[in-house]
Amino acid sequence: MAAARPQPSAPFAGRELNGEQLLDELAELRTAQVSPRHLEELARSLRELEGRRAPEAASQLKQLALNRFAAQPALASLLTRWAGRLKADVDVPLLVGHLERLAIVSAVLGAFRKGAERLPKGGRA
Amino acid sequence: MGPFSAELEAALERWSPRTRKLFVELMEDATSELQQELVQRSVLAGHTPGEVHAFADELRSLSDEECFEACTVDDAAPEGYTVAQLLRAESDPLFAFELNGGVISPNDSDVGPSLVEPPKKEAMDVADDRGLAADPVRRAKEQRRGFNVESGSHRSVPRRDPEHVGDSGSHRALQRKEQGFTSGPQRAIQRGEVELGAGPVAASVHVAVPMAISGARFFEDLLGDATRGLGFSWKEQEIDAMGGLTLDEALRQAQAALGRGIPVPFLLGNAQAKPLRFVLMLQGSTSGATRAYQLYEPSSQELVWANEKTILSKGELPFDNKALRRFLRVALPGPRGL
Repeated sequence: MAAARPQPSAPFAGRELNGEQLLDELAELRTAQVSPRHLEELARSLRELEGRRAPEAASQLKQLALNRFAAQPALASLLTRWAGRLKADVDVPLLVGHLERLAIVSAVLGAFRKGAERLPKGGRA
Repeated sequence: MGPFSAELEAALERWSPRTRKLFVELMEDATSELQQELVQRSVLAGHTPGEVHAFADELRSLSDEECFEACTVDDAAPEGYTVAQLLRAESDPLFAFELNGGVISPNDSDVGPSLVEPPKKEAMDVADDRGLAADPVRRAKEQRRGFNVESGSHRSVPRRDPEHVGDSGSHRALQRKEQGFTSGPQRAIQRGEVELGAGPVAASVHVAVPMAISGARFFEDLLGDATRGLGFSWKEQEIDAMGGLTLDEALRQAQAALGRGIPVPFLLGNAQAKPLRFVLMLQGSTSGATRAYQLYEPSSQELVWANEKTILSKGELPFDNKALRRFLRVALPGPRGL
């Protein structure tokens, strides 16, 4: 009999993880003036988490928050919160994917803002 | 140099005297008959003088074998390309070059009329009727087939090293550089700057003009700039337009990108295909036979789930702005990233 597939913890199983929740987090970071460049740097840092077990990944995220992103309290706080939610190993790639999406969406929305002038009435038609 | 074919002469009549002179120089600079043929075909395909110039500069540093590989996709088409794309690549070597990952850097100062109609079927038939010996592209294709059979090797598409693009070139190419014809610094092709310009007038003109210039880009360049640090490139495609993707295919490719964790940008328009808003497809969800996509419209900050059937039927989308009905364009991510 095949072993049951490991299920992600509750915070990683919701349908809105990469929808509404992601946009809420992005709004929070934008208010705190965290730039897309910081998120880009975060996305690159996340490569170190690949293949890590949940406790190791949580520890590394906290280190990132304390060191590399200490100057961006909103981002550091977000990382610390997510580190505390990592319970199962299967959560790690889901969190990495979520944080990478955060960086991509931030960059794409920036491009949309610049591109709005190419639309009729600056995208307000 | 010349005379050229009647189709080519007709296409060149739409160019300015300065860019026509440039074209003759490009023909003289081409290092082989095959290169000349590829450049001529790019003119017939309706590319701007700037694009044709940059394309010719790229070809000049390649051998015939490399040119052929870089400008054809027929026998080793990467997965994910549509029949429409492959058919277009057959008649448009510059399009095939870009599809293969090639990058050209058109100089904005080369911009001239590009209202050339795409090659008509009759024109292509005439070209084919010249026979194998007279057609360098077909000849190269046949030679290549023989090469493959003998070597048994898989075809590989050369990827140009951006650091070296433009390093090679003839003395005349250098002269053009001095005259202000240079391709400029290396960057991905940014048709938004060249053909679309900026502002609503250019954008609204876009939907009313023939397909030959409807290849103007709305957001490919901006997305490329914004996500370069993340290792992404994007290819903007028209939806339900000649040479573009069907909506069904666009959604299928978008779903594949979402599966890789990459949200997909779209341009929405009204029922008359007037471009109105950018939206970002964040994720998809399947329940039984029903599929839905989550869309975020940043100007109104609306986040909605839209049923796939509604999207495909161009029905009313669940946005407050009921004019938003049609998916006009999509930007699909390249194979790399993060």
